[in-house]
Amino acid sequence: MNTRMKNLNKADKTAITAKETSTPIDKKDSHKVPTDNPVTYPREFPQHESRMNTQAVGQRATRPDGRLHGLGQTQYIDDIKFPHMIHAKILRSEYAYAKIISIDTSAAEAMPGVFATLTGKEIPTNSFGPTLQDQPVLADTIVRHRGDGVAAVAAVSEQVAEEALSKIKVKYEPLEPLFDVVESFGDDSPRIHGGDTNVYASKVIKKGDVEKSFAECDHVFEERFTTQMVEHVPLEPHASIASWDGNGRVSIWSSLGRITLGRQDIARTLDIPQSKIRLVGTIVGGNFGGKNEITNEPILALLSRKTGRPVKAVYTRGDEFVSSTIRHPFVMDYKTGVMNDGTLVARKIHILLDGGAYCSWTGTTIGKGSILSPGPYNIPNIYVEAYAVYTNKTVTGAMRGFGAPQVCFAYESQMDTIAEKLGMNPLEIRLKNAFSDGSSSPTSQRLQSVALKESLNQASERFGWQESEA
Amino acid sequence: MIKKGRGMACMWYPIGFTVMANPSAATVKVNTDGTATVLTGTVETGQGALTVLGQIVAEALGIATDDVHVVSADTDTTPMDYGAIASRTTYVTGNAVLSAAEKARQILFEGAGPLLGVPVDQLKAVDRKIEVLGFPSKSLGIDEVSQHCEAVIGTPSIGSASYNPPTVEMDPETGQGKPFNTYVYATQIADVEVDDETGEVEVKRMVAVHDCGTPINPMLVEGQIEGGISMGVGFALQEEILFADDGRQINPNLTNYIMPTSLDMPELEVGLVDNYDPTGPFGAKGAGEPTAVPTAAAICNAIYDAVGVRITTLPATAERVFGALQELKKAS
Amino acid sequence: MLVELTVNGEWKSADCPPETTLLKFLREHLMLTGAKLGCDVGDCGTCTVIVDGESYNSCLMLAARAAGRDVTTIEGLADSQGVHPIQEAFEELGSLQCGFCGPGMIMSAKNLLDKNPTASRHEIKDALSGNLCRCTGYTKIIEAIEGAGRVMSSDKYPQSNTF
Repeated sequence: MNTRMKNLNKADKTAITAKETSTPIDKKDSHKVPTDNPVTYPREFPQHESRMNTQAVGQRATRPDGRLHGLGQTQYIDDIKFPHMIHAKILRSEYAYAKIISIDTSAAEAMPGVFATLTGKEIPTNSFGPTLQDQPVLADTIVRHRGDGVAAVAAVSEQVAEEALSKIKVKYEPLEPLFDVVESFGDDSPRIHGGDTNVYASKVIKKGDVEKSFAECDHVFEERFTTQMVEHVPLEPHASIASWDGNGRVSIWSSLGRITLGRQDIARTLDIPQSKIRLVGTIVGGNFGGKNEITNEPILALLSRKTGRPVKAVYTRGDEFVSSTIRHPFVMDYKTGVMNDGTLVARKIHILLDGGAYCSWTGTTIGKGSILSPGPYNIPNIYVEAYAVYTNKTVTGAMRGFGAPQVCFAYESQMDTIAEKLGMNPLEIRLKNAFSDGSSSPTSQRLQSVALKESLNQASERFGWQESEA
Repeated sequence: MIKKGRGMACMWYPIGFTVMANPSAATVKVNTDGTATVLTGTVETGQGALTVLGQIVAEALGIATDDVHVVSADTDTTPMDYGAIASRTTYVTGNAVLSAAEKARQILFEGAGPLLGVPVDQLKAVDRKIEVLGFPSKSLGIDEVSQHCEAVIGTPSIGSASYNPPTVEMDPETGQGKPFNTYVYATQIADVEVDDETGEVEVKRMVAVHDCGTPINPMLVEGQIEGGISMGVGFALQEEILFADDGRQINPNLTNYIMPTSLDMPELEVGLVDNYDPTGPFGAKGAGEPTAVPTAAAICNAIYDAVGVRITTLPATAERVFGALQELKKAS
Repeated sequence: MLVELTVNGEWKSADCPPETTLLKFLREHLMLTGAKLGCDVGDCGTCTVIVDGESYNSCLMLAARAAGRDVTTIEGLADSQGVHPIQEAFEELGSLQCGFCGPGMIMSAKNLLDKNPTASRHEIKDALSGNLCRCTGYTKIIEAIEGAGRVMSSDKYPQSNTF
């Protein structure tokens, strides 16, 4: 036994933490750390009354998972390791919009340490998406944004996989990309997914008669509001591990927030029964809507089948930005008719959603965005028209609020514009028009358990809104 | 010069999917020692969903949160659930675990009724006991009853249930319908300082008062609101993915994509309105997404109040606010 | 190359390629997965560990540079006998949601409070400015660190508990 091993053994036997000592540890004498420090701090895990009370609802109960987070014991995907596990990386498109002429993976496959490669042609059903299945798992004929994956490599380490990506030769025929949402909405724009329009989702909400009402209003306000693309930035990047076993059953550990639907999507892409798939969601290191879709799970499953080994892939922060979904930019035109006393009478809204390269959760975003866009106010006449169009940019999907933060920015900004013009306090105009129990929503739904005025009043009181007015 | 301003914004937000069915199922088993195990297909993504579900089950069974263990997110073992999305977990999955717990409780009542000599509808589960209504001294421990149900009667106390929020299809021409079963409401008010020489905006303080129905766990609701506001501050002032002419992202990293740090956060004051939604578990609705909704509008209204420029394009970066100030100067 | 160092009071050594970062060395060679990889370029702070009494982004430090030094990771804060006051305060106040920032956040907090247990709110915010969190808005994290600071500066807390 060499000296180093002896040292290790000694350290193991004493199993002392440095926390116990006031003196810096000499590496050679680590086994000599004193152990007789007096115990003056609680030595057991605290028990919280909030978890012990048998009237559980309303308690500020502490979280069992929160304790593990603080101890460093939570196992996120990247903390899980299996014997013989290998690592995958995905090659991303060099163009925002191009035809793929050919993909040559032979040089990558020949590299020592590389176990397998995968291209879109090998994926049984190479498309997915929660509403429209318009997104390829790996693009095989056409790339529609820079984040599209075109090939994957499984190798002994992430570094080898990364190096192998650079050996994959992809021939493209670049096409004229379309980045501007207004341009994409126009009649003459090139069609990113074929067909006769780039509009792939639309919504109309119609209540009362806006045009007639505008003519009767004391004031009409018109403004355009626009919002930007935003990334979720979960601190944990997307990660998954797939392991295909001898029974043709694949187990997948994933940072996915919806495993039931996720398994359906994976079964569809792999063309195997759902019963052949076990999908495990671990503790997710932040979601915010960005982890509600399958990403590379089918790729890892197929690489695992090819290699007979568990395959792990973790997005880099760069992957997270370019190839996961992001928040839809909105272009919103608001026209609002009001009376001199501040009563809202009519609101006409036109919304254009930058729908990115694929549909993803745009269907939900356009729906919620449209329904919510008139704001939480009693407005008898409403007309909302919303369109989502394809562009050759990052895929826009679910993000905390599904369009609500965008339309709220517009309707609440305009409320202040109106209040100022009419010489009203912003609180007063909101209270005057706010929903209450029994109000009729833009879709004529009778609302219940409405606590809007209460929130306005309580927030104003806490803030000191009336006092700070002068 | 530093100019001060204040601005408010309110919002409404629905719970669950738009029209589309989005069920959750759950199973609750009361163990023979009176503790319980919950199976749910939802995923813990940081919100504290599992803790909230545990609290709902504990309340229904009259036991403590610590007595409940929640097993989640494995398609081999847990029932279906449409997932941690659309602020639906407390409401939809919460209603499912509540129904499942009530079914398990019913088995306990049926076991305890003959032992206590009263009809089943005369019982309640409270303080780890099955108790006769109005006679707190007439009771049996939930552990005894559970043991009796399983080992004597042979009917273990297990309940399974599902819940789906009722909706009504929207008319394709007019959009009229009932797309959601319930909504939450909120108001946020911002105090900002704007440097009118640089356009730089600092949010000094925010007051946020939200409705989430009954807060099952007020600490976790506050956490959602505080986190939502930080995301809202980023949306309002800093964050934007930028593209080069060839469609490449210019800032796909956390060096140049600026999200709020501890130094960007205002002092926060969070309040919850007293509300109860009879359709939610113990009156609860939800709290995840809506917390991030009104923040940007409140901040931009405060910027207007401070320096008189109306920001209509987000984010309100220093450059953009400065540009708007220059325009304002030119115009006057 | 062989890297030998002290981690959480234990003498450790492992072979690794020379380009191995301390983060990778801890996670893959010593199986200490508490420190997380969030960006790999020193922006997010999820990999924060303490080396010789100073906090570092372990994704930016080569393992070779930590050779012979004392490294403390999140796993070294609690032992069979108890949790650290920062960990206790984080749990009690619900400071962590998804928790991915937690180990780094707590190590940065420890680095601050070891030197200045009575740190002001502004000093705390300043010390955390290299640790990103997307869930919490930092509010309950800052409150917990203030609370832990009160424990660590009290007479009952063993002052020797720093290294």
